[in-house]
Parts: sequence; structure tokens; C-alpha cells
Amino acid sequence: MPIIFGGEVHRVRADVAVIGGGTAGLNTAIAAAESGADVLVVDKAHIQRSGAIAGGIDHFFAYLENGEPWDTREAYLGYVAKVARGAANLKIHEKVFCDELVPAMERIERIGVSLRQSDGTILRTQALGQPGPYAINFDGKFLKPKMAIDVKRKNIRVLNRVQVSKLFLHDGELAGFTGYDVRNGDFYEVEAKAAVIATGNTNRMFKSQTGNPFNLWYCPANTGDLHRAAFEAGVELANVEYVRLTIVPKGFSAPGFNAFFGMGGKFVNGLGQPFMSNYHAMGDKAPRNIMVWGALQEIRAGRGPIYVDVRHLSAKDLEHLFSTLGVDKDTLPEFLRAKGYAREGQLIELAVSEPMQARPSELCGSGVKIDETCASNVPGIFAAGDAADQMGCLHMCMAGGYAAGKHAARYAAKIAAPPPLKSRELDEERKRVLAPLLRKAGLAPGEFENTVRIVTTDHFGPYKSEVSLTAAIDKLDALDRYCNDLKANNCHELMRCHEAMNIHSVAKIVAHAALARKESRFIPYHYRSDHPETSEDWCGLVVVRKNGEKGVASRFERLHYDA
Amino acid sequence: MTAVIDKGKCTGCELCALYCPLDVIHMEDGIAVVRYPDECWHCGACRQDCAHDAITFEFPPAMLAI
Repeated sequence: MPIIFGGEVHRVRADVAVIGGGTAGLNTAIAAAESGADVLVVDKAHIQRSGAIAGGIDHFFAYLENGEPWDTREAYLGYVAKVARGAANLKIHEKVFCDELVPAMERIERIGVSLRQSDGTILRTQALGQPGPYAINFDGKFLKPKMAIDVKRKNIRVLNRVQVSKLFLHDGELAGFTGYDVRNGDFYEVEAKAAVIATGNTNRMFKSQTGNPFNLWYCPANTGDLHRAAFEAGVELANVEYVRLTIVPKGFSAPGFNAFFGMGGKFVNGLGQPFMSNYHAMGDKAPRNIMVWGALQEIRAGRGPIYVDVRHLSAKDLEHLFSTLGVDKDTLPEFLRAKGYAREGQLIELAVSEPMQARPSELCGSGVKIDETCASNVPGIFAAGDAADQMGCLHMCMAGGYAAGKHAARYAAKIAAPPPLKSRELDEERKRVLAPLLRKAGLAPGEFENTVRIVTTDHFGPYKSEVSLTAAIDKLDALDRYCNDLKANNCHELMRCHEAMNIHSVAKIVAHAALARKESRFIPYHYRSDHPETSEDWCGLVVVRKNGEKGVASRFERLHYDA
Repeated sequence: MTAVIDKGKCTGCELCALYCPLDVIHMEDGIAVVRYPDECWHCGACRQDCAHDAITFEFPPAMLAI
């Protein structure tokens, strides 16, 4: 082929290739290596600091079987069935979380991160609809770097700064994938017996509160790269119709919700009145989507702004609150100080965050539809963490990531060699990937991405109906023609071009899935104004897959709960 | 909104540029530079990894004044 860019082409082979080196991906890699597989991790950033917990994390959900009635596996599953009804598959949940919980907690401590306070006690708080305090507060500031050190210790190969562009199949089974180095343009052709997708959710898809698309609650590097690639390869996705939102500090879309309300903060409106008891019996301890719904209603009724009131907390609790805020988001305490919030506290103004393509609950995921072995419908393709439809949040990424690694290694062990990659397809993909670098002029990726965000936010961010979703799909389809105009001046911008196109592609999938679910569920995450009620008929998964060149086919898979 | 690197304190160890999850920090003439300030997630990883106290954070009006 003609030389289209100076970067080199590398051929790499692995038994198990993990795409995405965040929490789930690294646990996957560790499990697969411990199972004897030759493992490769490919990450768009650097595994030392990539993914949702790059800068830290401060809580881990668990039941500890400590004698309280709410502290058992059965009670926990009852909680999952209640708050993730219609999205969480309990059989899969048991396999990927419950069966893996104890070793996951042991693993955290083994790599050098304590789940205990400095005095040796375990501090647990309650929020998000929990029947008891399931959230272990801990200092996870260095959890991610320590996981990366463990990966290095196990001699697992890592390709940092490589964005995966396409998955290749041979006779319906995984053959491998391609990617490129986002700093030097080198191209990678990876032959793999099994691949585990662990690339998180899709962010930067809707407008943010400050207008800056990188001022986000979740990691803005997660742009649905593998949601798009998996979909293109015929992988089924589920739970992707949900548009997740949360409550964040005004001006800074940072974590803090669980800490504020877990520690006993009161959610109040502009009149200083608590309001959550008007929307849910658990008040400020209600599930996240209900908290968001309550806030949206107060704002719409003209009773905004909204605040968290922490003035009644003891000095000791306030000190813990402000220190844990900094564990989860390193820069948040100084932001709050810069806004003039003294520790004793005025009311701290909050806001409803940007919408995002993500799981509707802490107890499930959104993305590649997995079975009890973390396998997708395409042989050889597995998924873990927020990129899978049944996993999410730290506790499940630690536990379920490990499960995915074990199963992928088991699958790979049965395969003599990866099926062949076709050189013509590889050359075509390399040309497609590098094309924005070769254009003399064109559209900046940020402008394209911003246009996508306007359409999504206008038509399904988060309120939607058949009319608005149909309009969104038409407009998003019409944006296709600009994809061939995107221009990158360097490899960093090349990455932004592909991210923008991936966000655009996933937005279409989300809109199609939302169109298929003719009810409302996890309001406001899926609020259909033309079908505002939650219906038992829709208690299950909307599963989508590619249909033809541009089409999206959907099917419904019922989920069963005892109660 | 962004990380700000003090050129006088940066020793060029490259850790922040190596690890930045958003690829906004790059090396230029032996010191770290925030090349894409608008794309900073303000996760604070760079500051935690800096052994020379060279990184601080600034918040623009759109964060502080809305």
C-alpha cells in the first residue's frame, strides 16, 4: 500500500487482549494472567492514571455478612432487584459480583490500599436507596496506580496511548482488532483469541453545565469508542437507552453526591425547604434517579437554585466530608474554598449534571450485553465494567472485571490460534483512521462534536418522545456527511476526530434504543413524555444490534424478579 | 479551568505528560506544558504525581461565578 503517514505498523498477538485499562480492565488483565493466559492491555491513555478513578475514589459498595438483616447477600440482591428493576439481571449479578466480592476486597488490600479508616474501623454510609449502609468509605486515592503496579509486577504487556479503532471477525468469531498510537500515529494490528471490552461509558454526548465538554462528572476520555466498534462488529448492546444524570456542585461536575448525602446532608431548594420527601419515601437517601427527578421538578417549579445543607453536621463529620470529597476528586475541596464555602458551611449550591450514556443504576451497566461468563453474542468478545450492560461502579468493576478475565482466559485456552486478519481490511482501516491527518482543510472535531451535543440535548437530553427521537435520528443521520470532512492537525486531534465520530455513532444507537422502549423507567433517565408510565410489560432489556448498513434492530428480553 | 504548570519548578521528569488521562500535557523544550487547557478534567493526577510542587489549578468564571 502507498505510504499514507510516517507511522510504523506493528503486529501484536495475545491470548487475551483487554481493551481499556481502567479499574475493570486491569482486574480483567490480572485474572487472565493468573489463569495462565498471555495478556495484552491496550489503553487510550496510560494505565497508571486512566479511567474513571484516575484521580481517586472514596467508596466501595459491599455487604459484609456482619449479622444485620440488611447486610447479607440475599438482602443485597433484594436491593438490586428493587432499585435496578428492569435493568439488572440477578443471575448475572450473582456471578459477576456476589461470587467475586470477597476476593475483590482482599485484592484491594493485597495491592496496598486499605478499606479501613486510620483507626482500623470500617466506616460505612447509606444513600441511593440502600436498606443499610453499603458504602464503605475509604481512601482510594492511589488505588489505580497500585493496580497498574500489580499489572507490571505480573509482566502483563501494555500498549499505552493506543486508541482501538475496529474489531475484526473471521467466520463470525473474533480475529483481532486495530488501533493507533494517539501520540505518534503508529498503527497496531492485534491478533487475539479473546478480547475483553472495558472502555467505560460514553461521555461528551450532551451539553455540560458550564459549556465546557470536559468539565464532566465521568471521565471525558470515555467516548464510546468500543460501543461503536462492537456494534459495528455485530455485538448486541443493552441498557443503552438510558441517559444518566446526577447531582453535582454548581460549576464543577465532580463527584460528591454520595459523600454529601451519605454523610447526612439535606437537599434543599432555593427557599431553604427540604423537598425530597415529596418525591420518595426515603427522602435524601432515595435512589439517584429520583434525587435528580426531584431536583428537576423543584427547578422547573421556580424553586431553584438547589443546595446541600451540611450546617447541622458535627465538626468531626464535616471534617470527614471535606476530606473524602478530596479523595474522590482531588481538586474539589479547593474549588469549594475558591467559591467561598467555609467548612462550617453556607449552603453549597448544587446542579443537575450533564446527561451521559451510562447505566441507569449503580447496580448494573450499559453497553455490551453479557451473559454469566461476561461473554457477548460474538464468540471471543467479552465485556467488563461500565462498558458491559450488567456491570458498573467500582465494586462491580473490581469484582466483575476479574470474572471477565477468568472466562476470557478459559475461552482462549480452547483456541489453538487466533483466526487470520485480512490484510486488505487492515489497509482499508488504516486509511480510514489516518484520513483526517491527510486532509488539507476541513472541519475541526470540536465543532462537529458540539453540533452532535446540540442535537442530542435538544431532543433526548433527557426528555424524549417518539417525535423528538425521530427528529434526533434524522438530524444525526444528516451529520454523517461531515465525518468525511474532519481535519486533524496532529495525532492528538486525530484522537479527538475519532472520539467525535464515536460519540456521534453511539448517540444514534441510544436514540434508536430509546425509541424502542415505549414506557418510562428510571425517570428521568428514560422519560418518554408520550409513554410516561413505568409498565411491567417492559420489565427487561431493550437489546439492540446492527441491522444492514445504517439500521438498528431491537428486541426485548424480559427479566424476572421474585417480588 | 485547568492545571497550571510553574515553569520555574518543573524539572522535566515527564511524569505528568506520561500519565495525563486526557493527553493535555506534553513536553516542550524539556518542560511540561499544558498544551490543551480546555480539555483538562481537573482530576488532579498530575499534581499528585508531581514531586516538585509545580502544578496548581485555576478555575475560570464559568465554574466560580455561575
